[in-house]
Amino acid sequence: MTRYLIPDACIRDIGEYEKTGGYQGLEKALSMEPGQVVEEVKKSGLRGRGGAGFPTGMKWMFAAGDPKFPKYIVCNADEGEPGTFKDKALLKNNPHILIEGMAIAAHALKAETGYVYLRAEYPKEKEILEAALAQAHEKGFLGENIMGSGARLDIQVHRGAGAYICGEETALIDSLEGKRGQPRLKPPFPVNAGLWGKPTVVNNVETFANLPFIMRAGAQEYMKIGAPDCPGNKLFSVSGHVEKPGVYELPMGITLKDIIYDHAGGIKNGKALKAVIPGGVSAPVLPPDKIDCPMDFVSVQKWGSMLGSGGVIVFDEDTCMVQVAHRALQFFEHESCGKCTPCREGTGWLRAILERLETRQGREGDIRLLEDVSRNIAGNTFCPLGDGAAMVVLGFLKHFKEEFSEHIENGCPYGRTGKRPDRPAPVQ
Amino acid sequence: MKSEKSQREKTFSPGALTRLEEIKKKYPDKRAALMPALYIAQDEFGWLRPEALKAVAQYLELPEMTVRSTATFYSIYKHEQAGRNMVRLCTNVSCMVLGASTLKGTLKTLYGLAPGGTSPDGRFQLEIGECIGACDRGPAMLVNDDLHTELDTKKLIQVLESYK
Amino acid sequence: MINISINGKKIGLEGPATVLEAARRHGIDIPTLCNHPALELWGGCRMCVVEIEKMPRLQTSCTVMAADGMTVYTETPRVVAARKSVLEFLLINHPLQCPTCDKAGVCKLQDLTVKYGAVAGRFEEGKRTFPESVDDPLIVRNMERCIMCTRCVRMCDNVQGAFAIGVVNKGTRSHVEPFSGGRYNCEYCGNCLNVCPVGAIMSRLHRYTYRPWQMDKTVKTICSFCGVGCTQLLEVRSGAIQKVSPVFGEGVNKGLLCGRGIFGYGYVGSPERLKTPLIRKNGVLEPAEWDEALALAERKMLEIKNLHGGRAIAGVAGGRCTNEENYVFQKLLRAGFGSNNIDSVARLGLMHAQNLLEDIFGQGAAANLISGIPRSDAVITVACDPTQTNPVMGLQVRAAARAGKKVLTVGHAHGLRRHRTHSLPAHIGTEGMALAGLLSELLKIKKLPGENPEFEAAIKNFELPRLEEVETYTGVSAAMLSGAASALKDVSSSSIIAGRELAAHRDARRNLMLLAAIGYILNSRFFLISEHPNEQGLIDMGCAPDTLPGARPIALQTFRERYEEAWGVKLDPEPGLSLMEMFEQAGDTVRAMYIMGENPAFNLPGRKMVKSALGKLDFLVVQDIFMSETAAMADVVFPSLAWSEKEGTYTNLEKRIQKLEKAIEKNPEKKVFLMEDWQILMEIGKRAGLNMPYTASSDIIDELARLSPLHAGLGYGDLAETGMMWPYKGKPLRMGGRIPALPVSRAEAPSKEQALAPVLVLDKPLFHSGTLSRHAGPLLDIMAEAEAKLSPETGSVLEVTDGAMISISTAEGEMALKVKFEKGLPVGAIFAGNNFGEAGALGLFGYELEPESKTPILRFANLEIKLETGKL
Ligand SMILES: Cc1cc2nc3c(=O)[nH]c(=O)nc-3n(C[C@H](O)[C@H](O)[C@H](O)COP(=O)(O)O)c2cc1C
Ligand code: SF4
Ligand code: SF4
Ligand code: SF4
Ligand code: FES
Ligand code: FES
Repeated sequence: MTRYLIPDACIRDIGEYEKTGGYQGLEKALSMEPGQVVEEVKKSGLRGRGGAGFPTGMKWMFAAGDPKFPKYIVCNADEGEPGTFKDKALLKNNPHILIEGMAIAAHALKAETGYVYLRAEYPKEKEILEAALAQAHEKGFLGENIMGSGARLDIQVHRGAGAYICGEETALIDSLEGKRGQPRLKPPFPVNAGLWGKPTVVNNVETFANLPFIMRAGAQEYMKIGAPDCPGNKLFSVSGHVEKPGVYELPMGITLKDIIYDHAGGIKNGKALKAVIPGGVSAPVLPPDKIDCPMDFVSVQKWGSMLGSGGVIVFDEDTCMVQVAHRALQFFEHESCGKCTPCREGTGWLRAILERLETRQGREGDIRLLEDVSRNIAGNTFCPLGDGAAMVVLGFLKHFKEEFSEHIENGCPYGRTGKRPDRPAPVQ
Repeated sequence: MKSEKSQREKTFSPGALTRLEEIKKKYPDKRAALMPALYIAQDEFGWLRPEALKAVAQYLELPEMTVRSTATFYSIYKHEQAGRNMVRLCTNVSCMVLGASTLKGTLKTLYGLAPGGTSPDGRFQLEIGECIGACDRGPAMLVNDDLHTELDTKKLIQVLESYK
Repeated sequence: MINISINGKKIGLEGPATVLEAARRHGIDIPTLCNHPALELWGGCRMCVVEIEKMPRLQTSCTVMAADGMTVYTETPRVVAARKSVLEFLLINHPLQCPTCDKAGVCKLQDLTVKYGAVAGRFEEGKRTFPESVDDPLIVRNMERCIMCTRCVRMCDNVQGAFAIGVVNKGTRSHVEPFSGGRYNCEYCGNCLNVCPVGAIMSRLHRYTYRPWQMDKTVKTICSFCGVGCTQLLEVRSGAIQKVSPVFGEGVNKGLLCGRGIFGYGYVGSPERLKTPLIRKNGVLEPAEWDEALALAERKMLEIKNLHGGRAIAGVAGGRCTNEENYVFQKLLRAGFGSNNIDSVARLGLMHAQNLLEDIFGQGAAANLISGIPRSDAVITVACDPTQTNPVMGLQVRAAARAGKKVLTVGHAHGLRRHRTHSLPAHIGTEGMALAGLLSELLKIKKLPGENPEFEAAIKNFELPRLEEVETYTGVSAAMLSGAASALKDVSSSSIIAGRELAAHRDARRNLMLLAAIGYILNSRFFLISEHPNEQGLIDMGCAPDTLPGARPIALQTFRERYEEAWGVKLDPEPGLSLMEMFEQAGDTVRAMYIMGENPAFNLPGRKMVKSALGKLDFLVVQDIFMSETAAMADVVFPSLAWSEKEGTYTNLEKRIQKLEKAIEKNPEKKVFLMEDWQILMEIGKRAGLNMPYTASSDIIDELARLSPLHAGLGYGDLAETGMMWPYKGKPLRMGGRIPALPVSRAEAPSKEQALAPVLVLDKPLFHSGTLSRHAGPLLDIMAEAEAKLSPETGSVLEVTDGAMISISTAEGEMALKVKFEKGLPVGAIFAGNNFGEAGALGLFGYELEPESKTPILRFANLEIKLETGKL
C-alpha cells in the first residue's frame, strides 16, 4: 500500500522533504501548460477532502475558465468538524506537501496569491506552516519566478477566530475579507466571484496534499488507488473508544470495520461496539451492523450517512446515545451562524428537547417533536450546517429510538445522573 | 491646557503598529486585516474593550460598528475582561466520551471555575470549547496557546499548576 | 423572453427577475420577511419558499432567478407546511406582546401568523429575554421581537451608508445594536425603522400613542425641510401628526427620508406657534383681530408708498413658502406697493450659481433628475456636503459609490468620507482653485467633445494656474489632481453637485465657469444644493429684484407688458434692491419692509447691521409661524400656516413642481382662525385695490400658468403622482452661448501664517434646518445645543478639549460654544451652525457683496478663540 500523504516520521525540513521526492510534483506541473495541469487533475478523479467530495478538476476548470483576474487559491484549514484532526496531522507532520500542492494549483489557475485559512485553535501548526513557507520562499518554490518558470506565488496564513461555520467555503471567504463569516448566496459561486469578487478556488488541506502525488505519478497511477468513483488515499481521524486512536492514511473504499479493527486496534478495553459516526459529528450515526460500509463519498451515502471529513468516532457499549446527541446539538446551536430561521431557532429547540431528556424531564411526544422539528429544519436551511444538525438527530432516532424512549420513561439506562451537561459559554 | 483625555486615550504601541502595517500588506483590501488586527488589539488592550475596537476601526478606517459586529461573531476573541490564562476545555463528543465532563466538575470545585467565568484569583478563565482537533488524545484542552491532552483529574491539576 | 409558469399561470419576462419579482408583477403574492426591494438579497428568513419542478429542495423565491421553462408552485401543501414551520420557529423567541406593541396592525409577522394559522406553541422552554432599550431619545429597541431579518442593518450599511447599527454575536445570541449598545450615534434617518417588519425597532415619538388603525387619515405630501422635495406620508389623528414615514418606491426619495423629514415634524404642533395676528401697541406686540391687523398693514404700506414712493418698500419672500404664496407676495409688492425690492434666500448663492450656469448652457442647466446620479459613471461634489444639506440626494451619491462609480469630493464633504473614491481636500473657500487644477489636468488627458465650439474656444483660452500655485492656494497636491483627473478620464457621463459657496465667492464667475468647463468635458448633469424646500420656486416665481414669474427679466418690455396687462398696473422697469442692499439702505431709501416666512435678523450675515436696519424702519410686517427674532421687531405680525396645514406647490432642486396636501385643518372649530399666507397677502392686496380673485391656491397656479411662459398650461391636475418635471409643458428658453473670458482670480496666495490660521466655517448640520428645527423637540434631543465642531488635531492646535466651552469672537460678535471633536474635519477649521438662539454662528460673520450678483460673501475678521474658564 502506497502512502503519500503522511510520512512515517514527521518532515518539516525542506531538504528532507525534497529527498523524499518533494517539490518534484511542482516541477512537473511547471513543465506543463496550466490547462494541462487542470486536465490531469480532472482525469485523476480527485474529489475534495473537505467534506462534500466535489470533483477538484471540475472546480478548477470553472475558475480557470473565468476571464477575471487576479484569481485566488485558498486552502481551507479551518478543520472544525468535531472528531476531525487529519488536516492538523498533515500540517504538523508534512507541511511542505500543502505548500507544494498549493503551488501546483496556483500554476494551474494562474493565481499569484494564496491564503491558508487556519483555525484559531492550531497556533503551533501556524508556526510550523509559517516556518515551512519561509523555507520554500528561500528555496525558490514560492515568491517570484518559481523554479525559473516565471510563475510567482505568495501564500499568506490567515488565522480564524473560532467559528465552525467559517469552514463552509463562502463563509470562509467572507471571513477572510474581514466580515462576519456567514455563508453567501450562491450563485455566484466562488469559482466565479469569490474573494473580493474574483475567481477563487477553495480546497481542503488534504485535497491540496494529493496533488504532488498526482503530478509525480500521473493521473493513471493515482486512479489505481482507492475506490473506483473516489480514487486516492484518504486520511481517517479515528477517535473515541478505540485502542489506537489517531490519523490513518488508507485507500478510499476501505471498510469502516477494517479501519476500526485492523488499524485502530478495535474497541477499547475489549468492549463491544455500540455505534460509530463515520464522518465527523455532522454525519448521521451508524449502528454496528453497518460497519461493512466502504468508506468513500458514494458508498457512505448509500449506507445512510456521509463520509464528510472522515472523522470516525467510535462508541462502545456503555455510551449513552442521548448524551452524544445532546452534545452534538449543543455544538450545532453554538455554531449556527444565525442567518437562516430554521437553523438559528431550530438547533436550539432540538438541543432544548434533548436537554429535557438528559435531565429526566422528557415527556411523551418528545420523540415525535424531535422528529418533527428536525424535518422542519432539514431541506430548508441556507447552508448544510442546519440540515446536518437535523440529519444527525434523525440518525440517532432511526437507530436508537428505544434508548430515547427509555430516557423519557425511566431515565438514562447508564445511570448517569441527569445533571445539566456542559454548554459552551455564550459570547457576550 | 493640553487634553488630558487624549493623552489617556490608549492607542496602538509602535510595535503593534509595525505588525499592523505588515499585516495590511498581506491583503489587497484593508478590511481583510480586521481579524488579525483584532488579535493584536486584544494583546494591546487586554481584551476587546470598546477602546480597542475603536482603535482598530480608526486604524483600518472602518466604521466602529462594522468592527464590533465582526468581532463579536467570533468566539475566540476575548470579549470580556478575562482571567490571566484562558482555559479552553473541549467537551465535544470524542472528549466527552473519554471523560471530559468530570474534568469540568474538577475545575469548578478546585478552582472555582464555571463555564464562561473567571477564577476568584483572576488566574484562569474557563471557556467550554468545541473540538480542538486533538480527539485522538482526548480529553484535551488549550491553555492559552498550549495544547494539553489525555487529561485526567491528576494531570489537569498538574498542568494548571504550571500556570501562574 | 423568459417564459415561466407560476401556479399554472404563464408568465413572460422581458429581463432577468427573481421568481418573487416575477410573481409579484403578475399579482401572485408570496410572503416574505427578509426581502426588501430596496435592499440586497439575503435569503435568510425562508418564508418565501416555493416549489419548483425538477428541484428537489424548496427554493427561496426571493433569491432564485426565473429561468426559461421553470414551473413554480407557490402554495402547495409542502410549501405551506414549510412556511408554517418558519413561523413556528420565529415565534419560539418572539414575545406575544401584540396587544401592547405599537406595530400591531402593520406587523408582517402578525399578518403571516393570521394567514398561515397560529402555531400551537410547542416550544416550552423559556424565550430569549432582552431588556427593551430606551437609551436613545428617538429610537426604542426591543430585541425580543427581532426576527433577525437584518433588513435594518442592510438599510443602514448599504443604502443609508451610515454603518451605525449591526448584528452583534452569532446564532441565537445575535441581535441588533448601535456601537454603544445603547444610545444611537447615527444619522437618525429612521430608515431602519421603516424597513423593520416587526416592532423591534421603532420610533419613540409616537410610542403607545395610537394604534395604526385608529388614524383619522393619512396624507401624502412633500417634506418642508430642504430642496430635495421628498414625498412623505403623514398619519394624522385628532388634528395632530402622529407619525411621518416615507412611501416605499414613491417620490424623489423612493422610500427614504432623513432625520429632519421623519423626526422633525414636531414644530407644527409646538405650543409656541403664533395663533393670532399681533400689533405693536405702545412698544409691545399684542394680539389683535385679523381685520384690524390687515387694515393696518395695508394702510401703513400705502402711506409709505404715497410719501416716499414704492421703492421705499421692500419685501423678503420665503423659501419655505409655496410657489403660490411667493407669487402672490411679489405681485403684492410689485403691483400693490409699486416696488421691485423683492428678494429671498436664493440670493445667498443659488440664484447666482444657476444664472452663471444658464448663461453658458441655457435655461434649465441645473434641472436634472436626482435619480440619475447613481447611474452616471462619476459623481463630483464641489464645496458642499450633500449628505448634510440635501441628505436624500446625498444618499444617491452614496449609492453611486456602492455601485462602483467614481466619487470625487472637491473640498470638505465629511458625510462622503467613507464613500468617495477620490478627494481634492482643498482648504475651505479654495475649491474653485482646485477646480482650475483639475481642469488643467483633465485638458491634458481628455479630448474636448466638440459639441459647443464656442465654449470650447473659450476653454482653450482659459488661463489656468500652474499646479504648484494650486497647491499653495488649496493644499491639494499635483499628484492628487492628476490622480483625480485620470480617474475621470474614461467616464462617459457624470453628475456634479455644487454648493452655493462657490457662487458666494469673490471668484464666483470664475468658479462657475471652471465648473461648467469640467462639466462640459465630463458630460455632466449639474445639481445645485438647495437648502430650502422652495428655494428654486423663489427664483421661478420672480421673487427677485430683476425678474418676473417665469424667471425672466422685468426689464424686458414685452415680458413686463404681459404682467402689466394682466395685473392692470404699470410696473417699474428698473430692477429693485437685492437682499443685503435692502437692509443696508433701511431707514434711508427703504422705509418699510414686508417679510414672509424668513428671519433675516438671525439668518443673514452682518447680524448687527441687519438688526439695526430693521430697527430703523418706519414699518415692518412679518408673517411667520413663530415669534422669530425678526417678528419680535415687527409692527404687525401675521401667524402663518405650516407645510402640513396647507395646499400649494414646491419646486425642488431638480425644478420638479410637487404638490403639498393639507393634512391638518388648523381651525376645525374656528377656535383658532388662521389664514393661509396667500390669503393674508390677498386680503391686503384687495384692500389696496389689487385684482386678486383667488378662492383657492389652485386659482393662483392657474393665473401663473396663463402668464409665465415657463409654467404655461400647468395645473394641479398635472401634479398628481410625481409632480412635474422641468420644462413642464413649455419649452426651455435656449439662451446659452454668452461666454465671456475666464476672469482672473481675485484670490491671493495665502501667506504661511494665513494658511495655518484657524478658519470659521458655517456648518449646516444634518439635524437642523435654519431655525425651524429648534422647535422640533426630537431634533433637539439628538443635537441639543450649538456646537463648535473641529477635528482633534485642530483641538490640539487651539489647545481645547472635547466638550470644553469656548468663546469665539470676531469683529462681528462673540458667542460661547461647546467643542465637539469630529475626526476627519479639515485641520484648522471650526464649524459652527446657525441653528440655536444665542449661538447662531452667523452672528460671527460679516459679509462683502459679490459685485456682479450682490451675493453676500461671508467674512470674518479678528477671530479669537478662548477657553471659557470655569465652564469646563
Ligand atoms: C458547515 C460546513 C463546515 C465545513 N467545514 C469545513 C472544514 O472545516 N474544512 C474543509 O476543508 N471544508 C469544510 N467544509 C466544506 C467546504 O465548504 C468546501 O466544500 C471545501 O473547503 C472545499 O474543498 P474541497 O473541495 O477540497 O473539499 C464545510 C462545509 C460546511 C457546510
Ligand atoms: S444553516 Fe443557516 S443559520 Fe445555520 S449555519 Fe447555515 S446559514 Fe447559518
Ligand atoms: S436611523 Fe438611519 S443611520 Fe440611524 S441606525 Fe437607523 S438606518 Fe442607521
Ligand atoms: S430589528 Fe427589525 S429589521 Fe432589524 S433584524 Fe430585527 S426584525 Fe429585522
Ligand atoms: S472532541 Fe475534543 S478535541 Fe476533538
Ligand atoms: S424573503 Fe426570501 S428568504 Fe426571506
